[in-house]
Amino acid sequence: MSMEMMLATYEFQQWLYREAKLLDDIDFDGWFALMHPEIQYIMPVRINKEGIERPDYSTDMFAFHDDHHLLSLRVERLKSDYAWAELPPSRTRRSVNNVRVEEYVPNKRAVVKSYLLLYRSRSTDIHHDLISGERTDEFICLDGEWKLSKRFFVVDQTTINTRNLAIFI
Amino acid sequence: MAKPEVRLDEMTREEALHYLNETLKPEEGIIPAYILTDPTIYKLEHEKIFMKTWVLLGHESEISGKNDYMLRDLAGYSVIVARSQDGEIRAFYNMCTHRGMKLCRADKGNKANFTCPYHGFNFKNTGELIGVPLQNDIYGGKLDTSGMGLNKVTIGIYHGLIFGTWNDHPQPLEDFLGDFKWYLDIALGRTEMEVVGPPQKFIVHANWKIGADNFVSDSYHTMVTHGSIAQLGMVPSATYSRKGYQVHTENGHGCLIGMPNPDFAFPEELKGEYRAHLTPEQYELMSNLKNMIGTLFPNLSLLVSHTKVKGQLVSNTSMRLWKPVGPDKMEVMTWFLVEKNASDDWKHRSREAFILTFSPSGIFEQDDTEVFTDITAAASGVMPFAKQLAYNYTMGMHREPVADFPGPGVAYGDKFSEANSRNYFRYWLNLMNS
Repeated sequence: MSMEMMLATYEFQQWLYREAKLLDDIDFDGWFALMHPEIQYIMPVRINKEGIERPDYSTDMFAFHDDHHLLSLRVERLKSDYAWAELPPSRTRRSVNNVRVEEYVPNKRAVVKSYLLLYRSRSTDIHHDLISGERTDEFICLDGEWKLSKRFFVVDQTTINTRNLAIFI
Repeated sequence: MAKPEVRLDEMTREEALHYLNETLKPEEGIIPAYILTDPTIYKLEHEKIFMKTWVLLGHESEISGKNDYMLRDLAGYSVIVARSQDGEIRAFYNMCTHRGMKLCRADKGNKANFTCPYHGFNFKNTGELIGVPLQNDIYGGKLDTSGMGLNKVTIGIYHGLIFGTWNDHPQPLEDFLGDFKWYLDIALGRTEMEVVGPPQKFIVHANWKIGADNFVSDSYHTMVTHGSIAQLGMVPSATYSRKGYQVHTENGHGCLIGMPNPDFAFPEELKGEYRAHLTPEQYELMSNLKNMIGTLFPNLSLLVSHTKVKGQLVSNTSMRLWKPVGPDKMEVMTWFLVEKNASDDWKHRSREAFILTFSPSGIFEQDDTEVFTDITAAASGVMPFAKQLAYNYTMGMHREPVADFPGPGVAYGDKFSEANSRNYFRYWLNLMNS
């Protein structure tokens, strides 16, 4: 790996760690500021296919399929007085790892893949929910800062083992 | 009232049913908490309701091509629903008749035959056993394959909805749906509808009846539980959810009809199709519809919702199954449907509205599942049974049905009522006693 790619990998690791921290700290405004105005925030439905036929996710049904406006609605809602699904907020811990920079044009654009393991604990429940999957993230550099322009999250369960997706992936 | 000195699981079946009949009083609006979480009730429900009644398997449009199939379950038993070469839809228990292995393990696909991974027995999608490896040699040509076809599931289809039942002598599907067909026609049969993509599935640690009950009668909760939606300006006002009708029919079915609506909630260019599919009375009601929420007994809920997304009004149609996985756990399975002949723009916006509001990430859906979970937790264990904790379902008992409502069934002119729940639990109790 070239020195440039090593530095880029480090840079995006740090970006993803910071993003995880903002979400886990329920700083939704801070998190939303990381989004590019052209953000596409997508989570397709995972499906069991026969054998090794791929892709094994739906291309026409999604748990999330948001642009900047729709994502802003979710953020605004979470800040309202009635967002019961997250009142009080879940305790979440996002572990981001296996970060690989797939495409990188300095100061312009990048494509980064990573694995996400999201731990969720609600209220006094002693059991927890785990959401695992792979992200494919696209970044655009805007005024010297990397902004997320596309997130494509492929979840590892066909039946999601959490009561709702009132949290971000 | 009977004293719960003995737990239900220590009683005989007759004693448990007797206790149920003494404590569950739909006519008086008394629904005891234990029926949500008691394991004995759960077992009885499985036998008396889910093994007897019609339960949704899916929609015809999910297997629209010849030799398409999908894997579903009926009362927790894996079922292959397949369309054969001749276009007919059949359903089979997903079990090889030789040694019992599951034949199919994909959610859906396209094939004419199913081959067992254990010994290679090969079944046609019409159910016949057509291939046994080395058959003549090892069975001496004496294996009678004619009696080894797949175990057939009785199915019935209405407006593309495929229902199945394990009952050997079921009530005809159309009779079971009864007068509720009038409402199903509007919600899911107003024109040719198609399911988009696979259903979404997620687990909620809640009893399945809470979801069915919520959709059958509870408009009241929307003011508070869904208060955030009004704050975002997506629906007119929090109290708007009271306007319209609450209607129930026989067999426990019921729905909530939100109206009037100054706007036409559906694609304008399809008005001709709607008129052709519906009676003038149904069309008139549909023209004024803001939303429609209902439950077809036992666990299929349907939903037409008209909201403003990105400054534009659009409706989305969905249905969901509240599938029992345990007394305190269910799998929610949600389908999005849209008019087949709607424009691509409408289909896109309608799906967008569905994902935003009623998918697992939906900003309506998510607050409900939070409530369902906590209700279940509070109803669990010995205490709610021993202390005879019960819910109050008396809302609207003072009201008289409206006489001039165009649809069949018992209609009230106020959506804030619990009449539909009383009707739902009355039928639930009937079946438990059957």
